[in-house]
Amino acid sequence: MGLKLNRGQILMTETTTLDVPVSQGDEDKYLLKLGPQHPATHGVLRVDIELDGETIIDCDPQVGYLHRGFEKLAEHRTYAQNIVLTDRLDYIAAMANNVGYCEAVEKLLAIDVPDRAKYLRVMVCEMSRLTGHLLWLATHALDIGAMTVFLYAFRERETLLELFAELCGSRLTTTYTRLGGVRQDVTHELMRKLEKFVDEFPACIEEYETLIDTNRIWLKRTIGVGTISGEKAVDLCLTGASLRGSGVDYDVRKHMPYAAYDKLDFEIPLGETGDTYARYRCRMEEMRQSNFILRQCIEQLPPGPIVGDDAPDLVMPAKPGRKVEVDTPARKALIKLIDDRDVYMEGDVYVATEVPKGELGFYFISDGMGRPYRMHIRSPSFIHIGALATMGKGVMVADLIAIIGTLDVVLGECDR
Amino acid sequence: MKVQYKPKRNLLETIFQVEILQGMALTLRKLFSPPITRQYPLEKPPMYPGFRGQHALVRDAVTNDSKCIGCMRCATVCPSRCIHIQYHDDENGKRYVDEYSIEALRCVFCAYCVEVCPVGAITMTEVFEYSDYDRDAIYFNKGALLENWDKFIEGTGYDESYVNPFWRPRGVNASTLPAAQRKSVPADWTIEGQFVGTKVRQEQETEDMAPMEESNV
Repeated sequence: MGLKLNRGQILMTETTTLDVPVSQGDEDKYLLKLGPQHPATHGVLRVDIELDGETIIDCDPQVGYLHRGFEKLAEHRTYAQNIVLTDRLDYIAAMANNVGYCEAVEKLLAIDVPDRAKYLRVMVCEMSRLTGHLLWLATHALDIGAMTVFLYAFRERETLLELFAELCGSRLTTTYTRLGGVRQDVTHELMRKLEKFVDEFPACIEEYETLIDTNRIWLKRTIGVGTISGEKAVDLCLTGASLRGSGVDYDVRKHMPYAAYDKLDFEIPLGETGDTYARYRCRMEEMRQSNFILRQCIEQLPPGPIVGDDAPDLVMPAKPGRKVEVDTPARKALIKLIDDRDVYMEGDVYVATEVPKGELGFYFISDGMGRPYRMHIRSPSFIHIGALATMGKGVMVADLIAIIGTLDVVLGECDR
Repeated sequence: MKVQYKPKRNLLETIFQVEILQGMALTLRKLFSPPITRQYPLEKPPMYPGFRGQHALVRDAVTNDSKCIGCMRCATVCPSRCIHIQYHDDENGKRYVDEYSIEALRCVFCAYCVEVCPVGAITMTEVFEYSDYDRDAIYFNKGALLENWDKFIEGTGYDESYVNPFWRPRGVNASTLPAAQRKSVPADWTIEGQFVGTKVRQEQETEDMAPMEESNV
């Protein structure tokens, strides 16, 4: 043919109309679209990377393949109906989203939650943190090449999911919380199983660590990869273990306690180096802390009802039917509104909770109707993918996969 | 709390690949442990009361029909709006439900309809294998929903006294529920028999014991 093919032009044949944009005058550069069907991108993430050899010189994550319009959908549904949408945000730790949503709405509507429900919320939150971290460990290790950890981590995750099924009737789409409490109480049988799990789980973490903690391949693939300084991590709005791996002490559970976290004893693991290995160590320690919190919940679970007396009916706003004691100004306003116009409080509220990925925030603007005027979700995955553009520059393609893994993104939450 | 790292491996450990051998030993041990895989189609997963599976309308033993009173609470609360009810009122004001249908393909399985039903007429069964090549087969009308109930009762061995946990949520004060939902339930579904934290229980017991000891003295 006599056609000289340079690198970067290799995809261009006479029959394809695919235009591979190669920067003019630099024939060594190569644009590759990684995903959205690539198994290592944890869903439907597409990363447009510009390569020089195997080094990434520009990295541009593209999101939106899983967009379902939850924020807009929420404007047409009542507060109680929106809980089912939050199951589908971070679908591997749905309980934590349910709790985050309900904490925000309860602040907006000034509803009290009984102590027992608070403890149950913490319990399911920590269980979902374990499921989230176990799935992260499994897939992250699988991306890097450790197959066995994947199998062992799913073994424990299965136990937890069955506990969810026993508690609320569903493994993943839990819809467990409700405004003013939770929907189902625990049974003796379930708590026995949970106690057995809590007893056995530290040995399981030991097993994962035996496999990868000192493994020389794991160390080579993680130490010094995706390093990010504390200041830079704060600038990029990273939260969760991705931030704490860089040594920044920020955890919503500790610094703005919600539910029963202020009554429980736990520590925030902090890394120093800010690389993939530090974040891995942070998450492993977090699993130990979660296990410790679960044990405290089993010990301290107080007796009492699981739904508050002033919790709104599920069929809202048609039938508020609340018995409200007048003691605070907020409640006085609430009663006035209910009496006057049969509606809910006006105003806006932002409440952040700590989900396995980081800080999940719900921002509501209420115009006094039974539906949110606007619901905004501050999802950690979306912000972490934004950081990928910075962290992915100047690294190898294989390291980019490790960085996507270590940021722990779930595309359901990112695109929402 | 700073995370702890394991010490760096020394020369001997590097040469003899100790950490790799430890990992291999672990996987070798697991070779002799019992398998945890569940052979799904042959071996069914465990089911718990309150599983959110296929929908059903409870067949009333007396009327041999549904218990539904047409209050529309389920259709109102449904987040995916997949419940459709047609009814007519006669001249005395009595309501008759003509048709009750659920588009199961639109359903999100939240069981809100089960929870708000004042008479315990609708339930979600423990049946989950009902996929079909035909969309119409998964659009349940009233007859199909009653048949689902018959199949569920037949397949699981529950009798007429079946109580779904969403009709009567565990740990909820029974006096707040409508009369039709105040059925007798296992002890640990009630507030009196609920699970209490182990330490809290011990404290309660010591408090209870203390006055008894005093009285003994």
